[in-house]
Amino acid sequence: MTVAKSRGSTLGRESVREALVGYAFVALPIASFLIFFMYPLGYAFYISYFDWGALGRIESLGLGNYREILHDDLFGHALRNTLRYAVIVVPSQMALGLALAVTVNQALRFRTFFRAAFYFPAVAGSIAITAVAAYILSSDGLLNAGISSVRGSEYHHSWFGDSGTALESIMALNIWTTSGTMMLFYLATLQSIPTDVYEAAAIDGAGSWRTFWKITFPLLKPGHFFVAVVSVIGSLQIFDQAFFVSGGSGGPNYSTMTIVLYLFNTAIDGVRFGYASAIGIVLFAMIATLTLIQRLLFGRAEVA
Amino acid sequence: MADTPERDLPPVRPVVAAEQLATEGEVAIGTAPAGIPGRERSEKSRRVIVYILLFFVALLFFIPFFWSVTTSLKTLPESVGFNLLPEHPSIRAYRQAISAYDFNRYFLNSVFLSVVVTMSTLFLSSLGGYAFARLRFPGREVLFFLVLATLMIPHELRLVPVFQMLIDFPVLHVNLLGTYQGYFLINLVSATSLFLMRQYFLTIPKDYEEAAKLDGAGYFKTYWRVMLPLAGPALAAVTILTFQGAWNDFFWPLIIFLGDESKYTLPLGMFQFRTQFYTLWPELMAASVIAIVPIALIYVFFQRYFVAGVTAAGVKG
Repeated sequence: MTVAKSRGSTLGRESVREALVGYAFVALPIASFLIFFMYPLGYAFYISYFDWGALGRIESLGLGNYREILHDDLFGHALRNTLRYAVIVVPSQMALGLALAVTVNQALRFRTFFRAAFYFPAVAGSIAITAVAAYILSSDGLLNAGISSVRGSEYHHSWFGDSGTALESIMALNIWTTSGTMMLFYLATLQSIPTDVYEAAAIDGAGSWRTFWKITFPLLKPGHFFVAVVSVIGSLQIFDQAFFVSGGSGGPNYSTMTIVLYLFNTAIDGVRFGYASAIGIVLFAMIATLTLIQRLLFGRAEVA
Repeated sequence: MADTPERDLPPVRPVVAAEQLATEGEVAIGTAPAGIPGRERSEKSRRVIVYILLFFVALLFFIPFFWSVTTSLKTLPESVGFNLLPEHPSIRAYRQAISAYDFNRYFLNSVFLSVVVTMSTLFLSSLGGYAFARLRFPGREVLFFLVLATLMIPHELRLVPVFQMLIDFPVLHVNLLGTYQGYFLINLVSATSLFLMRQYFLTIPKDYEEAAKLDGAGYFKTYWRVMLPLAGPALAAVTILTFQGAWNDFFWPLIIFLGDESKYTLPLGMFQFRTQFYTLWPELMAASVIAIVPIALIYVFFQRYFVAGVTAAGVKG
């Protein structure tokens, strides 16, 4: 009895020790997440109800900042640009990523090389890549040189400098750089499709095109959702490229003004912290909704 | 239940693949469907087409990089032409970028920031990951849920609060804006890395630790001597993911260091250079090459770990 009791208390002491060590080990990460993620979330919510400047609270606005967002032409412009960007970039990235994944997933020679090559643009940093793109798409750049030689006459269009093509050029740039990432996500899902499904299709005499559309594509459903959401979230947050090519202004003629760029300018240049936070909350709501939808869909779909 | 407390934690689907990738170090590639006899000829011509197409696409993916490298070896007048290769290749642009435009300094800043952030993330995410995977303490599930929840918060939303916090840090009342410490502080550890480490530790059999426990090893010693050496692939994935993220980071350096050129990183330096010297293409391309080559080298040697890291980071989106 006494033996059992003392053993129990040793165990108890041991588990207290284990718990204390556990808290100590997670203390810094948890503190960091609380201070630099959770607190900012609450703080942003709080000050989005105020006119808030560099020196702090100016006056309480209630939902005034949110009402202003609804009537802010420049925000509307940024929102439309961002949505237009997403509508083009998301399906393109998905299609290209899927095509690359299906190709690279075959028993090919140099498969590792191809996979590495397609993912490489995603490894190089956004700013370095945008600098390269700015050069290639400049009025004396490689693209115009190519067009000139095809047309047989000089062609000098400044792709990032013209409001009619600036955003489209960023779209093309990012479809190129991120399709490799989408390829990796699709590859991970492709691995989960059992090979006997394909064997059955081959025995039934289904061609590869038919096999793809009738078997692979539907079985990739979880992958489609996942890639779509990752791609949409990434598109909503487009910033680096737009900032670089426009020098931070969102020009020419606000053609590269995106939600995050507008948020940045409102906060850093305009020092309108309350209003910028309200924009951040709107963006957060959009992203959170999408993430929840993704989690729900993903929770139900089995990836195996 | 006491034996498998990890089952109580919320499952996160997309990461299963990442976990497997981390464990195996590479995507397990399934065998392609077997061909059917009599179809071989069309199969063969199809293959040839596929290879040609693939090489063409790969070439298309590489042209911009090739072009930036050759341009960085050209002179300014030559850079506006269509010469594939420079007539008189020279490293003048690199010399200019490094000495006249301070890319030397930006490079060192980038190295410094990336190395420190990577080391602190490695240590804290593995230590925390070990605790979440193995140690039992009240509130563990709640705290782990908190880790996952941070993944949902976009960093743009944190811009204003973090900016204000750095200007006048609560309680301490110090100004960390424009300091390296400020950058380190907000990048101590990432939820993605912590998550990746925890998932990996869960796959390691408990026998190893039990042996260590019998030898009288404490928790930290078990983590340091037993768990870390077994977690090579996950540590590699976290290293690459974090280093790449910090090396290419533009958003936070822009917010923290804007205006103080002595603290600029390569991306910030390139931005500043581009706005000041609009068309000095060879120098800008030299800077791009300087920014891309280190990460490209790491990529070439550790490609398989990139795959694991990226797929896991996908949770973050």
